[in-house]
Amino acid sequence: MADSDEDFVLSSSGDDRPKGKGGASGSRRPTRKSKRPDGAPAPGATKREKWEDIQRSWDNVVEGADGSIAGTVIGLLEATKRKRLLRDTTPIQRGIIRHLVLILDLSSAMLEKDLRPTRFLLTLRYARDFVTEYFEQNPISQLSIVGMHDGLALRISDMGGNPADHLTALQEKAFTVEPKGASSLQNALEMGRAELFHTPTHGTREILIIFGALSSSDPGDIHDTINSLVEDRIQVRIVGLAAQVAVCRELVMKTNDGDDSGYGVILDEGHYRELMMAATTPPVTTAEEKSVPSLLMMGFPSRMVEKHESFCSCHSNLTKGGYICPRCTAKVCFLPTECPSCGLTLILSTHLARSYHHLFPLKNWVEVPWSEAHASSHCWSCQTPFPTNQSQTSPTKQKPKPKPATLAPPPATGTSNGTKPAGSSEKGQKQPQQPTQRYACTNCKTHFCIDCDIFAHEILHNCPGCQSLSEEKIKARANLWPPNTVDGASSANGDPTSSMRTQVAEATKMLENSKIAPGSSMEVDS
Amino acid sequence: MDKVDGTEHYNFKAPADLATLQIIILDTNPLAWATFEKSSSLSFPSALSQLLIFANAHLAFSQSNRCAVIANHIDGVHFLSPADPDTDHRDPGEVDLTPEDLKEIAQQNASKYRVFRLLEDEVRASYRRLIANTDPEAVMTSPNASCLAGALSAALTYINRICFGGTGGRSSGVPGDEKSKVNSAGGKVDETGRTMHAKILVVSVTPDPANQYIPVMNSIFAAQRLKIPIDVCKLRDSTVFLQQAADATGGVYMEPEHPQGLLQYLMVGFLPDHLARQSLILPTKVDVDFRAACFCHKKVLDVGFVCSVCLSIFCEPPEGAICSTCQVKLDATPLENLNKPVVLPPKKKKKKKAIDSLPESGVASAADSPAPAE
Repeated sequence: MADSDEDFVLSSSGDDRPKGKGGASGSRRPTRKSKRPDGAPAPGATKREKWEDIQRSWDNVVEGADGSIAGTVIGLLEATKRKRLLRDTTPIQRGIIRHLVLILDLSSAMLEKDLRPTRFLLTLRYARDFVTEYFEQNPISQLSIVGMHDGLALRISDMGGNPADHLTALQEKAFTVEPKGASSLQNALEMGRAELFHTPTHGTREILIIFGALSSSDPGDIHDTINSLVEDRIQVRIVGLAAQVAVCRELVMKTNDGDDSGYGVILDEGHYRELMMAATTPPVTTAEEKSVPSLLMMGFPSRMVEKHESFCSCHSNLTKGGYICPRCTAKVCFLPTECPSCGLTLILSTHLARSYHHLFPLKNWVEVPWSEAHASSHCWSCQTPFPTNQSQTSPTKQKPKPKPATLAPPPATGTSNGTKPAGSSEKGQKQPQQPTQRYACTNCKTHFCIDCDIFAHEILHNCPGCQSLSEEKIKARANLWPPNTVDGASSANGDPTSSMRTQVAEATKMLENSKIAPGSSMEVDS
Repeated sequence: MDKVDGTEHYNFKAPADLATLQIIILDTNPLAWATFEKSSSLSFPSALSQLLIFANAHLAFSQSNRCAVIANHIDGVHFLSPADPDTDHRDPGEVDLTPEDLKEIAQQNASKYRVFRLLEDEVRASYRRLIANTDPEAVMTSPNASCLAGALSAALTYINRICFGGTGGRSSGVPGDEKSKVNSAGGKVDETGRTMHAKILVVSVTPDPANQYIPVMNSIFAAQRLKIPIDVCKLRDSTVFLQQAADATGGVYMEPEHPQGLLQYLMVGFLPDHLARQSLILPTKVDVDFRAACFCHKKVLDVGFVCSVCLSIFCEPPEGAICSTCQVKLDATPLENLNKPVVLPPKKKKKKKAIDSLPESGVASAADSPAPAE
């Protein structure tokens, strides 16, 4: 039995991983002690300490009457995928122009091998991804990277908006450093503070710390540093790699107006990435004084093509072609940037467009209950066939349910094999066993599969259905199942964000029209 | 373009042996085609058959190559191939035919490569069905209707399904994931988790859909992220959206001078796959217009003012320093210096400092990290 316990621990580190992100632990508990005596670790259960109490993925699998677990597995998979999607989609004011200092722990604690291959290598790899993702999401923002190494703060890259510079710096400076010594939060924070000191007031000032150590060896009182961070209105987020540390929590709470959601301790590699990438989304602007909105002067340079190479004024590299600053006609090779000779911010209009999806997030889609599932047989956009309702072909429940807002399970009477009733009585509200695997947009009522749902919300930021159907068609479908007001966005009348939303929407419409003007100088219709 | 927009890290380093999915987005607005035919003598049927030859050429390259055709119609987006599994698969043009006629047709096509025939039949049948279901009055009222954003979105979601197995290229994240990817896909996968390459060809005769700026841009950015080139064959009215799409994703942009020879343009310009493109100099448009137009007077700007909250563009500071879009009171202090000449001294100082600090290495400067308050 001791052997089997050993096995559980070893294998669960691998098997349990996707699960860890999965359903909430609360929902798992009841099922654990339910029907599967063979799965329960009977002998050791009584004297187990809490940390030994491993959540086993196979325990929440409820077998169907026919012995198949396919339904549960699909349901769990989709719940995992969908979990991160369900965020608030009310348009909120966000700090679009960001200044962030990424502080990486390069102390000896990073040599631990609890993350594969080591904490250090994984962190650097994620840091590279982070840089790319950060600039994809925030094209007009700036980043700087600092390392905590041997009790000192090591500057890896300066505040700048060019992802290539940061990636090169990571490659050249961070990868060559051997993790060593203690980490000093205070030194790193002070350096981050110094870097953020001169940043303009309209942007956000943020620090993201990847903290592998459990202690910080500081030359002074870190509380003074925390207070000065608060004074400088710098927001700090921390990703802990080992365990929660009290001072980190205090640091995050004080710099975020008492909100400690910015402090997370990782569970595994996937969760680590999730926590880190969460910082690429622009933060919500909460307090008025956090950032002072202002009007920025920006240049929209035109691109030129040269026959012969010439030096760019930013890197002094020989390049063919580049962008000409409209104010001082200096040539820069990369946008967005600040003109090295006259200091004008140079961007492309596409950079602005890239940030709009933060201002107008795509609404969450709703899961389709079986009573409405008959409307579609395949995913609208990727043509994947949906599962049909095998066990519930009884005609009574196909149409008569117009609006099951609470996702009530279909009546279980008259089903032949009894799979569904068993499931529904156990899980109560939840859709029993087999999910419909359909997700509907509340605006155009089109049904999509889970992968398209995630793709549309995370990468595309469009609803393919709304974009593909003409307005008359969408109007004609307005009475179909998912009612329009399901989502928070439309019901949020009256609060300031909604008025902002309408105004921004109007202006965007103007922009849309005017965007045409440069190229074709017509089509500014209506 | 530049690094943030992804052009620079647009590289074709992936292994050579992955197949390619070609998506063709075809404008099927009848009125736009009729107008175009008058000026160019290229009719839609002839364009369609030339496109199908192009698609067949693509399929002929490799057995595992695939092709999908999406119609950008006046009332929305329709998959021509693969056809919508719900609908009646019969070709409306063949309904009246007797079995003998059908047999004759089948015999005529007997020597054709099956993959070609399947694609051609499917596209033609779906197109006939599409036209049969189109209201003639709606055609007359919408000469420029186009759902470019929807067509691009549908193409991208379809690519996401076929080429990435629905993961959206996100598998590179967790180390353990890659192995499972290979297993689940059962085939070859490159480092981003894609099982096939993809490219999109947009054949367009309609002008830019002005009201779809943001969705189109979103689609372009998504394509850029998945490293999918959007090729554009613009037969009529050059458009800014599609120019930017081709430019941002590293695709080919062409406006054929002699549309009758469409096939040749397609074969020479758009057929090469990602690997061949590395060694070819492709026809692309270099002077893409990226300038912005202001919200207040719709002037095209070189230098403008941008609200830091909602990113609205103005040609001059708005009255009372209040953003007309989001009604936020803007900080006016930076604007006071507007009319003064740009001051140079700070820059000089910076240069000097840079020269001074040259000998220092990165590690040395770390020692100078700001001393904490004692």
